[in-house]
Amino acid sequence: MARTAAGVLAALEQLPGALGTGLLALGALLFLLVAAATSLLGVGLLVLPTALRGVRAVAERERGRLGRWGPELVGPGPLPEPLREALADPALRREARWLAGHATVGLLLSALGVLLPLYAFRDLSFPLWWWAVPREAATDSLAFWYVDDWGGVGLVVLLGLLWTALGALLIRPIARYLAARGRRLLDTAPSDLSLRVTQLTATRAAALDAHATELRRIERSLHDGTQNRLVAVTVLLGAARRAVPRDPAAAEEILEKAQLAAEEALAELRSVARGILPPVLADRGLAGALSGLAATSAVPCRVDVDVPVRCAASVEATAYFLVAEALTNTARHSGAGRADVTVQARDGRLCVTVTDDGTGGAVEGRGSGLVGIRRRVEAHDGTLTLTSPPGGPTTLTAELPCGS
Amino acid sequence: MRIMIAEDDALLREGLALLLRAEQLDVVATAGDPAEFLTALDEHEPDVAIVDVRMPPTHTDEGIVAAVEARRRQPELAVLVLSAYVEQSFATELLAGGAAGLGYLLKERVGRVTEFLGALHRVADGGTAIDPEVVAQLFARTRTDTRLERLSPREREVLALMAEGLGNTAIGERLVVTDGAVHKHIRSIFAKLDLAPDDSADRRVTAVLRYLDDVRRRT
Repeated sequence: MARTAAGVLAALEQLPGALGTGLLALGALLFLLVAAATSLLGVGLLVLPTALRGVRAVAERERGRLGRWGPELVGPGPLPEPLREALADPALRREARWLAGHATVGLLLSALGVLLPLYAFRDLSFPLWWWAVPREAATDSLAFWYVDDWGGVGLVVLLGLLWTALGALLIRPIARYLAARGRRLLDTAPSDLSLRVTQLTATRAAALDAHATELRRIERSLHDGTQNRLVAVTVLLGAARRAVPRDPAAAEEILEKAQLAAEEALAELRSVARGILPPVLADRGLAGALSGLAATSAVPCRVDVDVPVRCAASVEATAYFLVAEALTNTARHSGAGRADVTVQARDGRLCVTVTDDGTGGAVEGRGSGLVGIRRRVEAHDGTLTLTSPPGGPTTLTAELPCGS
Repeated sequence: MRIMIAEDDALLREGLALLLRAEQLDVVATAGDPAEFLTALDEHEPDVAIVDVRMPPTHTDEGIVAAVEARRRQPELAVLVLSAYVEQSFATELLAGGAAGLGYLLKERVGRVTEFLGALHRVADGGTAIDPEVVAQLFARTRTDTRLERLSPREREVLALMAEGLGNTAIGERLVVTDGAVHKHIRSIFAKLDLAPDDSADRRVTAVLRYLDDVRRRT
């Protein structure tokens, strides 16, 4: 009995707060509805961001309230600035659902929860003061009837007992329901967070991996390409010097070879440097660099780049290598007559699409350079999608955060 | 002297063969990968094999594995390992089982034809050729050794050339001193380092390298 009473009292403590956020929620909901309705006419668009921030603010208040009576709730942080992103924010959508319920059912329930004990107290104490108030105030709590004798007082006390019983019965479920609903819709789901952490850990590992692979590739092409060419140059020069006194004609021939080897070393060096960061990217930007790729592509290629800003150099390089790889694959395997490259910057993300009208059936892996490209893309926390049904067309799409 | 070359880079392989043939040396076969090398080895039974460390398929240490296998098949075979870079720890491992008939040189040393041919002949004759770079790496970490500090600058030069595998005459030629002077320096070095004197160049190399490696490990 004492425990029940303590439980009811504890639940009772929560309800005035819930009533407060319920009233705020009602205000925010009405504002949001008006803003949404007038948005159809255009003017509401100006206040819609404020309305959305209102939703988030009320939700934050409720998170604070719930956090006082249980584990703390982690909020999603400030709303993204662009309206489109804010509207797409899943946390905001859940908050809006919570708001609709809390402004209506939640408001009524918390009001009931607050009123029940007030009524009970008023009606139970009625015998002590009913005679002192004017007749029009001497009614039961719901003002159904006027009391002018002790029989009526008895009925009011009975009503007070009914309120007490209802309160004992309902207050705890109401508080529990409001808290559960709030926690369900307002907590940034821990599963989402841990999923995100897992994702980040994986992409970070992939980034390190891609980095190491990249370094190995550079080291190997330096050692086995450039360096070998230069060693060949010294070997041939050595041989030529030995040949000069004996056979000048042979020496001339060897020197010719040495020069060729030196030229090859330079070409290798250029391709290694290019593989690290294509100089054309720095000189002419992504659009210029991709036009250059299209110009040298074996398959006729149209390039449409709509990127008003410069992205991070590594992101641009990744986009560049992606297009280069895609065009190479198109030329080699697809039998396509033309290819289209589209690059757009949208909401801080770079979207790269390469489509061809070939025979399709392209598969990632099997020694294709796409694996390396995917690693590069994922290392930037981006996504890469390849669709290539048999019969075509083949579409390669990548989305990368611009990183600038 | 019958020579085999195992090197995956075609240009370098041909350049090397061209250079050796111009010196009237007998290049009996060339190979581009370890399998080809071992097959040709059984067929031609050369005196010396010149082996590149990095070869297909993984381009890591295929050359070494192949060289070890070649020595197992033909214990008398002299092997000169060429590498794009040298690592002293790797040299000490390579020579752990004895330095006779083994060489370990940077690839570009081939361009200094006279010295390269000297090293090739030395290895073919059962001697040793260690790249000066390896010796320099060994010396670089021996500052704290008190016994090494007792060596005169000239003695350190002689010690370095000994570590490369040069014999007394060759050391004398390099430093432009007489055989007798070299001999005196070497006796003095061995006394200062508490090493047993040894006139055989390859045992001497092993002793010197081991000494330097010990110093390196202690520091």
